[in-house]
Amino acid sequence: MSGAPDRPDLIGQRIPRHDARDKVTATIAYAADWAMPGMLHAVVVRSPYPSAQIRRLDAARASAMPGVVAILTAKDVPHNTLATDVPGQTTTVGPLRAHLHVLAEDRVRYQGEPVALVAAETLEQARAAAEAVEVDYEPLPGVFDTATALAPGAPRVHEAGNLLAEWRIARGDVAAALAGAAVVIDGEYETSFVDSGYIEPEAGVAWIDGDGVVTIRLATQVIEHYRDVAEVLGVPQNRVRVIGTYVGGGFGGKEDVTVEVYLGLLAWKTRRPVKMVWTRQESLLSRAKRHPYRLRYRTGASRSGEIVAQQVEIVGDSGAYAYLSALVLLYSTVTAAGPYRVPNVAVHARVAYTNNPPTSAMRGFGAMQVVFGYESQMDRVGAALGLDPVHVREVNALRRGDTLPVGQVIETHVALPVLARRAWDSLGEPTPPRAPHVRVGRGLACNLQPYGRIVWLHDWSSAWVGFEMDGSLVVRCGAPDVGGGQASSLCQIAAGVLGVPLARVSVHISDSALTPLSGTTTASRQLYMSGNATLKAARELREQVLGVAASMLGVAAIELDLVEGEVRARDGRTLALKDVLAGCARASVPRSRLAVYHAPAGEPIGFMKVGGPDMAPHTPQTLAHGPAEPGRGSGKVFPDYTFGAHAAEVEVDTETGVVRILKYVAAHDVGRAINPTSVEGQIQGGVVQGLGYGLLEEVLLDEGVNQTTSFASYLIPAAGDVPDVQPIVCESGEGLGPYGARGIGEPPIGPPAAAIANAIAAATGARLARLPMTGERVLRALGALDGKDG
Amino acid sequence: MIVRFTLNGRPREVETEPHRTLLDVLRDTLGQLEAKEGCAEGACGACTVLLDGRPASSCLTLVPLVEGRRVTTVRGLERDGRLHPLQESFVAHGAVQCGFCTPGVLLTALWYVEKNPGADREQIRQALGGNLCRCTGYTKIVDAIEAWSRRATAEAGP
Amino acid sequence: MIPFEYHAPATVGDAVAMLAARDGAKLLAGGQSLVPALTYRLARPGVLVDINALPLADVVRTNGHVRLGALVRHHVLEESPDVRRWCPLLAEAVAYVGNARVRTLGTLGGSLAHADPAAELPVAMVALDARFAAVGAAGSREIPAGEFFRAPLTTALAADEILTAVDVPVTRGAGTAFVELARRPGDFPLVSVAAVVAVDRAGRVADARVVFGGLAGAPQRSAPAEDALRGHEPTPERIAAAAHAARRALRPETDVFASGAYRAHLAEVLARRALRTATNRALTVEVR
Repeated sequence: MSGAPDRPDLIGQRIPRHDARDKVTATIAYAADWAMPGMLHAVVVRSPYPSAQIRRLDAARASAMPGVVAILTAKDVPHNTLATDVPGQTTTVGPLRAHLHVLAEDRVRYQGEPVALVAAETLEQARAAAEAVEVDYEPLPGVFDTATALAPGAPRVHEAGNLLAEWRIARGDVAAALAGAAVVIDGEYETSFVDSGYIEPEAGVAWIDGDGVVTIRLATQVIEHYRDVAEVLGVPQNRVRVIGTYVGGGFGGKEDVTVEVYLGLLAWKTRRPVKMVWTRQESLLSRAKRHPYRLRYRTGASRSGEIVAQQVEIVGDSGAYAYLSALVLLYSTVTAAGPYRVPNVAVHARVAYTNNPPTSAMRGFGAMQVVFGYESQMDRVGAALGLDPVHVREVNALRRGDTLPVGQVIETHVALPVLARRAWDSLGEPTPPRAPHVRVGRGLACNLQPYGRIVWLHDWSSAWVGFEMDGSLVVRCGAPDVGGGQASSLCQIAAGVLGVPLARVSVHISDSALTPLSGTTTASRQLYMSGNATLKAARELREQVLGVAASMLGVAAIELDLVEGEVRARDGRTLALKDVLAGCARASVPRSRLAVYHAPAGEPIGFMKVGGPDMAPHTPQTLAHGPAEPGRGSGKVFPDYTFGAHAAEVEVDTETGVVRILKYVAAHDVGRAINPTSVEGQIQGGVVQGLGYGLLEEVLLDEGVNQTTSFASYLIPAAGDVPDVQPIVCESGEGLGPYGARGIGEPPIGPPAAAIANAIAAATGARLARLPMTGERVLRALGALDGKDG
Repeated sequence: MIVRFTLNGRPREVETEPHRTLLDVLRDTLGQLEAKEGCAEGACGACTVLLDGRPASSCLTLVPLVEGRRVTTVRGLERDGRLHPLQESFVAHGAVQCGFCTPGVLLTALWYVEKNPGADREQIRQALGGNLCRCTGYTKIVDAIEAWSRRATAEAGP
Repeated sequence: MIPFEYHAPATVGDAVAMLAARDGAKLLAGGQSLVPALTYRLARPGVLVDINALPLADVVRTNGHVRLGALVRHHVLEESPDVRRWCPLLAEAVAYVGNARVRTLGTLGGSLAHADPAAELPVAMVALDARFAAVGAAGSREIPAGEFFRAPLTTALAADEILTAVDVPVTRGAGTAFVELARRPGDFPLVSVAAVVAVDRAGRVADARVVFGGLAGAPQRSAPAEDALRGHEPTPERIAAAAHAARRALRPETDVFASGAYRAHLAEVLARRALRTATNRALTVEVR
């Protein structure tokens, strides 16, 4: 029995988000806005050294200070090892098992590594006591760049060596193709350490709730870390609950654990509510960063501009711990040749431990750094052959049915040629230079970005949609909302299917105990995954309710529609929704529905584990795989990809090297824009982060010591540094998300750095190969400055 | 020490200590959580309040400096439970994502546009230079401010 | 923040007495540099002397000078008609200081006495040959701007002295310009330049002052640039030669944000730009 197809009237509407009003009046309680009676305040004691032995740790004096309630060190942690391989997932990733200590035992490997926890009656007391914890460090030699780390005889960050992971792809015969190419372009590129730089620092409050449940309310992208807290505490998983707040920005930085394990430990030990809020300096010091890469490309092309070969070497800096480095590197490996058909590809990717800050997830997740490499190369191929930038991309763009170098077949439409043409043309008339020392130029850059998690993670999401007796609707879903409108789009989908005005919908999210689990708000997956789960739940609920209505009216359900809070029959009769719901109760038909959406799953392809069978903490994992082979998986790594093309017009001050962006256009095929305003917001925000990456942002380290631990030294773009970003939203309807939507959270951050580099090259002839493209580096590329690079 | 000031039009008197900042007093003493702490060094703008009508970092304002002054937070913008038109404009234009910077951005924008009616987009961007936003990329924030500024200027008449 | 003893004297004499009586006492003016240091426990004064109640917030035009109280807030300096008219270099420089919030509470005296080597106002004051009035336990004295800034965060003030006012000579018959380049606008600049150029009736440079910020521990006057201009017609070539001469005498250091070579290069470029603008303004003044 099934109702008439639902009419997605609300899909594609520019609907103000349900949380916008609360945010403009500042009535949302973020993580740091929470307080509990009798609450303690906690701080982390961190290592000032990037590499040192802990000879002695004495908290006796600190423990005796006024107000101090607890000081915890490694020996106080029931299970001091924390898995960091794949946050929130219920399947394991085979050999990818990364661990770290909750609190350092005898060795610290980066500046800022947690050594002890202090909880006191006031924050001032906690800070004073933290200073009084006596730690004798014996500084050890460290390694601070990947070349040194991978050289023979380098000091070892971890016992088993500095090579953390290695991936290879080999397709076709690269050497032969390069030998026969009309042009071969060699390029080396270097990207920088950058920080998520959200405005809300990491924060949370924990307490022991009824039944002994350790309850932690915090800003997180992954409520499923309750399992990690349980493991560390040695309690059953059902004794830990994570309540996720509306998050003040995540971008991957709140994907790995932040404060939850510390809070859980302290609440568990003290039996009192505990609050921890990191300072900005602490956040910039110790949060995992984006991996800096060294990229080496050798690209061969035919005279007509077809790319015949890509040879790519990637070396990434993992910092002191593995976190998600192996997977970040996988994303890079799979996307290293860009959104193009390339018959011959060789990728060799490695990531190494150093005594720098750890690196892990950040918006774009490895598919981002390589865009700077492959799009700089595409531009140089075009320039060498005298071809227009759009043309070079059109000639090479992937099409449906093509196979990526890793062996994955592209199953959905690829709009790349249209996106590139539209972005480029939208720049309009060229801007004349405003002064003789200023040059103006334009650049184009395209990308592909996976959305959804790696298929062998068997990703799933669930949502629970139900009517109250009065016809109002409740959506429950575990998805954290990090500001991208995650919760709002679920309302929009459910309201559309069930014919309920948005004002009559409420949504409860991000509670590991009370909302059905939906997985992480990462990997551009939440609209895709939880949107599908909500859509499924709402459609099934619609069928349930219309089935009852059909009996009440004595017609077939197909005759019925559910709109504006009533059931309408084709013959003109109507039933008030609340009467139908009463009918459901009488007929013992539930008024709610829980649905689970499973993403397309697959098995790991061509995995070969090199190394010991026992992946002890910090053991390097050397992984390699080749193209799909019979019996070794389908070649599928990701569910699907989002494609984009960005065009920039920049001016370069040839006297100072300063680059200003005059115009910026970003085109993406988003499949279907559920809420165009939100989609544009994702594009504009992603672009500006990408512009910061390209021009401004850099975590500066001096032998592992961070020089940029404030927002006055770690610079993210301000309003005056960036132009209006013009989004072009294309809708192929071919995504795997609800109504054909694709993920759009991450894709827009990829192309900006390359688009600017290409525009600078067009304006001046100088090729920038190192990020960020500061005035100084631009001047050096112009040959206008002697001396060593600063 | 006792410090007296006006908060959103209401006289307040707080017992506090001189080493507290206005941000501490707002959040911890008065429970006014609308001012956010993003950096505690005046660089991000999340804690922006208006002090006698001009934007100030409440995290850098030692509380003795507030004596006798007029403090406005974003909670002071609503009138009779209705949003200020600038707040409405932020909602309508999708200028809010995570919302953490929003209170500070609203106050800086309000100050600037009231002082400079008819400001253009570039001027608005420059005025917002001390209020960092990591989510929106600023375009929709400027859209929202410009739209409100135009409407306010039009309503004020020639 | 670590608690401290707090005093808010009503007179300069009382404030000086408190400074003299207590080792390690710190002055609080606008607090824009001090409070973050307190918050992050980098500064730990036992005593804080809040001088905001002192009557030092006036802008007064006197004979040939504008007298600026030490507590004049940046936004007042920026908007003061007297400052704009009589010391336009100051109005131009202060617009670069921080953001709108810093300019609300930050004070002239605080910025000068803090003496950050990259700060704008010290550079402008040296270029304008301002005189600083200080009051201490031993009495009052005047300190020329050129002798006030000693090293990063270090001035000629004694521990018990308070900077009370700055006398800035009015700019007559000269053009001025302030130019800077920061990694991001609103932040401390990599390099700043203040230029003052007076042109005589014959169209020659009667006097010139070129002062750099951000290149050393304190503002740096460039005698080579000034000498290259004085007595000559300020043609673009002459200005370029002066800027180049300035650069050759500079030895800025490399730090994590920029190399010394880049800073020196910027110094030349910005000096050229500042001198051109100042000269154009000087010639406009002459015409008027």
